[in-house]
Amino acid sequence: MQVWEVFQQKGHTDAYAHVGSVLAPDPLMAMSYAKECFFRRKEGMGLWVVRRADVHQSTDHGLLEQVTDKSYRYPEAYRGVVAKRELARAKFAPASAPRRAAAVAGDDF
Amino acid sequence: MTYEDKLAEFKARIDSKDKIETNDWMPDEYRDAVLKFIEMHANSEIMGALPEREWIPRAPSLRRKMSLTAKVQDEVGHAQLLYRVAEDLGKSRESMFEDLINGRTKFHNVFHYPTEHWGDVAIIGWLIDGAALVTQRALLDCSYAPYTRVMRRICSEEQLHLRHGEDITLELANGTERQRWMFQDGLDRWWEPIMHFFGPPSNPAKDVLLRWGIKSKNNEELRGEFLDHYVPRILDLGFQIPDTGLHFDESTGHWVPGEIDWTIFWKIVKGEGPSTQARLSMRRKVWDHHRWVREALSEPLWSAA
Repeated sequence: MQVWEVFQQKGHTDAYAHVGSVLAPDPLMAMSYAKECFFRRKEGMGLWVVRRADVHQSTDHGLLEQVTDKSYRYPEAYRGVVAKRELARAKFAPASAPRRAAAVAGDDF
Repeated sequence: MTYEDKLAEFKARIDSKDKIETNDWMPDEYRDAVLKFIEMHANSEIMGALPEREWIPRAPSLRRKMSLTAKVQDEVGHAQLLYRVAEDLGKSRESMFEDLINGRTKFHNVFHYPTEHWGDVAIIGWLIDGAALVTQRALLDCSYAPYTRVMRRICSEEQLHLRHGEDITLELANGTERQRWMFQDGLDRWWEPIMHFFGPPSNPAKDVLLRWGIKSKNNEELRGEFLDHYVPRILDLGFQIPDTGLHFDESTGHWVPGEIDWTIFWKIVKGEGPSTQARLSMRRKVWDHHRWVREALSEPLWSAA
């Protein structure tokens, strides 16, 4: 008997996600058990079982850390564009510039 | 790093609500406590299927039979998930089953009682599952992460079981005199076991489960939450709760139970409950009878190329 990690895909636009594990002698039985444990209510459309021994887990805690400032990788770093855009328009937009449609809610970028 | 340093670091992780994973270093006291707790939970799911299972052949309609079967299947499924999590802490499923059927490990007090009639199925589905959900919801905060992940799935299914139990209850409540009697009779017998379900008052200084963040609420708090939620609902249906000391405390805004007699609870802890031996012998019989199935399925029959 071996441990099999179970992955479930909810729908076509979802990635496979880990949901748990089962104990089984082979992949066919692992899929059967996984169905009974995790798919009794049509929880997904896709099922993977992977031998636990074949899963390689990172043990290097530093690997996932960011050693330098990586804030420029996140949208929060660019919050200032709204104010900068207004500043530029106030300074440079010609008086005859075409009028824009009213801003759409949430469209603050 | 000395053992004391590691221990202090681990305790600091627990106190800062950090989550522990299977492969993290943990002191033996933590491993033993979390394993024992999850094993008892798994035992209770599988033993809890038995009292309800007895009513599948006697369900009052085909639909009730199908839905009760599905519920029992869910409970057994919960046991499967929990045994899997427990196994990863270092005890084999085989030895957990052997310990259970030989009375070396425990299962919840409410599964040590007989079920007399369909009214009991309503009580189990609505009030006992309700009590279980109160305690299980509190476990979503458990410090052991693999347990909280399966608890999420379990709690969402238990939510459905509650509806199922309430549906049976309301059918009896809105039914004939005889049907109303069935619920009241069940309530009279099950109220004390339900109060016992939450356990005797905790001693926070001695409680290993609270210290290691395995449980986040003490027994009294959980019992109180149950009473506040269910007492008004039971009274609304016109049933009587068999506790003359039960009252609403105006100053705190909470329901308070009367004196609880723990005699039967302690007998159950020793394996001397009214149906303890009958249930264990049922489980033992199934375990022996199905040995050939387990053996047949323990060898690989098929493998991917």
